[in-house]
Amino acid sequence: MTNNVLEELKASIPKELVEEIRLSKAKSNIVEIVIKPENLRKIALHLRNLGFNYFIGIETIDWWKKDNTFELIYMFSSIERNGQLVFVRFKIPRDNPVVDSIHDIFPLAYYQEIENYEFFGVVFRNHGGLRKWILEGNWDGPPPLRKDFDSRKWVLEKYYGGKRYERPI
Amino acid sequence: MGLRTVEIFLGPQHPGAPGNVAFKLTLDGERVVDAEVVPGYLHRGFEKLMEYRWWEVNVVMAPRFCVEDPDNFELAYVLAVENLYGIEVPEKAKYVRTIIAEMSRIQSHLFWLLFMGAAVGARYIPSWAMAAREEILKWYDYITGHRIYHHYLVPGGIRWNIPRDFRERTLKVLKFVNKIVDDIKKALYENKIFIARTRGIGILKPQDAIRLSATGPVLRGSGVRYDVRKVDPYEAYDEVEFNIPVGEYGDTYDRCLVRLKEIYESMNIIRQLLDKVEKLIDDKHYRYKIPLVAPPGEGIGRVESARGEYIVHITSTGGQTPYRIRLRTPSMPHLTTVIKHIVKNEEVTIADFPIIVKSLDPCAPDLDR
Repeated sequence: MTNNVLEELKASIPKELVEEIRLSKAKSNIVEIVIKPENLRKIALHLRNLGFNYFIGIETIDWWKKDNTFELIYMFSSIERNGQLVFVRFKIPRDNPVVDSIHDIFPLAYYQEIENYEFFGVVFRNHGGLRKWILEGNWDGPPPLRKDFDSRKWVLEKYYGGKRYERPI
Repeated sequence: MGLRTVEIFLGPQHPGAPGNVAFKLTLDGERVVDAEVVPGYLHRGFEKLMEYRWWEVNVVMAPRFCVEDPDNFELAYVLAVENLYGIEVPEKAKYVRTIIAEMSRIQSHLFWLLFMGAAVGARYIPSWAMAAREEILKWYDYITGHRIYHHYLVPGGIRWNIPRDFRERTLKVLKFVNKIVDDIKKALYENKIFIARTRGIGILKPQDAIRLSATGPVLRGSGVRYDVRKVDPYEAYDEVEFNIPVGEYGDTYDRCLVRLKEIYESMNIIRQLLDKVEKLIDDKHYRYKIPLVAPPGEGIGRVESARGEYIVHITSTGGQTPYRIRLRTPSMPHLTTVIKHIVKNEEVTIADFPIIVKSLDPCAPDLDR
């Protein structure tokens, strides 16, 4: 089943849009597509037309020390193909994290993009509604899920005057 | 529209709000024309907190962002860690974990009946549903040692062995729950007022449900026969037989009916598994200890929780703690895209709004995390 999908994706998506199509190392029934960030919208449209019209979510991984990039993973699924998962992955530079928005193709992406914006500072081009959403009104620090932000240190400085158990660190 | 529209804030303390979440409603007279969810009242930063804790300690964190359905959330985390370590759990643990997860689904749906009954003004339903749920919580207390958050499923198996009277205790609970659910079926689902208030409102068509990423009973209520337990079986779900109940019209009543039928299906699954557990009652293999340091790589846990598809994606760089853990929880589409779609496409009055929201069964803390 998964291998058929792999072959089909390899055959139907133009070669110049993708860098690699492979099975996930973690779970062999997930197909991973590695792309360049500028091709995201084209791939998303392709996947939707191929029946992968069930959008699940966006994940950001902060590879701060490794190569100073953010890795974005877009998760798609297909109900007509028995819930086959497809992960679209690519990396964007950490200093200038900008990527196209796909919220007009998949409505849930609108909110997933807001979430990734507020927790990582990834900017989605043509989104139009990027703001603090879950963190609104109770957070004024840097994007909290970034790896260079140490939340424990921040809490000690902000709420405990730089002391741990009333003793200097 | 224009001058006549009023903006009001519904929740988080309002009895019509589904827990710790608020809505910014735009009203035109009595009609709700737009609903914007305002989350963040219960944000605790679980994804960050889990990055600081050991693999096994994170089991304590894993269920805590949804009080109503803790074990399915715990199970997804545990499955992801096992996927990362590359271990298979003992057979006995597999069956027991499936029973624990199904029981969690039943108690989550009973908890939802409390809210639904209260929303339509059927005051007797909450106390009945809670009476049934209480028996399940006592059962959990007996098996796991905790009532709400159990931490019973650990990477590698279950925390401790099951008692010898596991089968009798479970059957006794199921008998009690079954009786109350039968009563609720008669008293609520055949009640004229309940039908009048839920039939034909909050309609979600199947193609819209897929487009808006609706999941779980909301998706099935719209008539899409899709369940992760069937399409990507985990644990012991490929060894049991069960149906996937679906709705016909995709309205509020259908979503309620799907949940009621799922309670019966879950009880059916548990009964089938109890026989298999009984054969292994003397088996001492129920848990493998995992090493403190994980191999580098990725792990994925995918379960059908009571609210829908839930995915945990773990990235490890080979340490004692996760490098990154992504929790894709099922309530987000229901509170955002689905509710917006419903109020924009039909005439929803302010009186119907809480009923529609509760029929989606959102769990606000799992949106916030």
